Amino acid sequence: MPGRGNLLWTGFGVLALVFLLSPLALVVFFSFAENQNATFPAGGATLHWYGVLFDDPDFWKALGNSAIVTLTVGLVSMVVGTAAAMTLARTRPALANALIGVITLPIMLPPLVLALALATGYSSLGLPLGLGTVIPSHVVFTQPFVILVVHAQMASFNMAVVDSARDLGAGPWTIFRTVILPIIRPTLIGATLMAMAVSLDDFIITYFTIGGGMTLPTMIWGMLRKALDPSINALGALVLVATVGTSLIALRLTRYRG
Amino acid sequence: MGLTPAFAVFGVFFALPMAYLLVVTFWRIRRYRLTPDFTFANYQNVYGDYLHALVFTIVIAFVIACITTLLAFAIAYLIRFRSGLFGQVILLSALATLFGGYLVKIYAWKAMLGAQGSVNLLLITLGLIDQPIEWLLYSPTAVILTLVHFMLPFALLPILAGLRGISEAPLEAARDLGAGPWRITKDIVLPQCRTSLFAAFTLSFLIPAGDYVTPRLVGGTETFMVGNFIENLFIGRMNAPMGAALAFSTLLACALVLLFVNWLLKRVFTPKWGH
Repeated sequence: MPGRGNLLWTGFGVLALVFLLSPLALVVFFSFAENQNATFPAGGATLHWYGVLFDDPDFWKALGNSAIVTLTVGLVSMVVGTAAAMTLARTRPALANALIGVITLPIMLPPLVLALALATGYSSLGLPLGLGTVIPSHVVFTQPFVILVVHAQMASFNMAVVDSARDLGAGPWTIFRTVILPIIRPTLIGATLMAMAVSLDDFIITYFTIGGGMTLPTMIWGMLRKALDPSINALGALVLVATVGTSLIALRLTRYRG
Repeated sequence: MGLTPAFAVFGVFFALPMAYLLVVTFWRIRRYRLTPDFTFANYQNVYGDYLHALVFTIVIAFVIACITTLLAFAIAYLIRFRSGLFGQVILLSALATLFGGYLVKIYAWKAMLGAQGSVNLLLITLGLIDQPIEWLLYSPTAVILTLVHFMLPFALLPILAGLRGISEAPLEAARDLGAGPWRITKDIVLPQCRTSLFAAFTLSFLIPAGDYVTPRLVGGTETFMVGNFIENLFIGRMNAPMGAALAFSTLLACALVLLFVNWLLKRVFTPKWGH
């Protein structure tokens, strides 16, 4: 290949990287900057905005709610998603793909439509809104991630070891616990972390199904609608570090690359 | 059956509420209460009052989907065919930011696109402009830029999977026969990853078409999208039947556009070996 073409591609790659990452890097940067308008010149470095945030009792309430939702959603998605992926791995590919197509519909549609459908449904049933309605509303769009990732891993799974275990008299649960689980454990944890990142970051579905409560993203929304509140950069940076960090660990564990 | 819990969740928290919302589009509001009925009045009102907003939204979402799919293809091409380690860095960055920061990304762009924002500052520093561009924020441009940025990692994944599925043999054969990179891309690569291109286009078209947060935060007064009207009908005016009718009309319009795009892609990218 001629060198000029490679140079062009490298330039394009650098631009793409800057486009993808610079908005996020700026939020983290300004969370430590004195200038409260989040513009340049940024002023000196400060932890002031984090101090303001940690003094806000709403932050701790929102953090608590987010933790409850994220952990529960992660756990439920892991169990439900893995059970589905195990069955799909033994289904013939055409049918399995069709079923996966159906169950991933909730992540294909605009979240607003599902959020309003859920809110309308809950209100018709007279269900009180709260974390109890948020959690299953999350699972319906986090379980597809677990199913997709675990199913992809099972595609390259050596089924001969399962057959040997069965021939030696092991039941399905013993086979899963002693043969399959040790091999797919990193993928399982990684897929669960992905589901948790998606749940932790969700704003639209949460906003319409939580009623009066607050999670970290709905707190960000509240701050955005008020006048200038510079600690929003600190809160944004924390949510960002939590979701990106979780995703990075998940990517390392699953070796999932798309 | 291992599938039972997953499909129970899907049925109770997706299929049923969506079906109920569809039924509600034929109902009415009487004395502030949802009342069963069988009327097409809500759809007629959508056609009368919101057609303009619907068309505007479809156009914006179409532009976003085109730019996102093109960019995602170029980046996926770079990762698959050009650079080794550097491509992996780009891929990892895209994947790591895939699941995080929907709201944070939107307000980051809000801060960046303002008159005092970093984009204007950068353009002035580079000497490309003298005065800050005032219309960057609160404009359709801001909405397009923000949503392209948000959708790009999602569009990258299916296209990259499609490119990885192309075997080396036909590419090498074409190269040996003297075909240049453009010719190979047009006649072999694009036709073979057509379905992944369509998947990327679908995602980056549907999600923006129903978004209301981005136009609300960076779109300003002239960029009201269907999502804003739907949200306002449900929350502000407590008219769930109208809002639901608008939501399903939007989904239907999107489905028609996607059918057309799929037909177009099939027509343009038919595999061309053998003649």
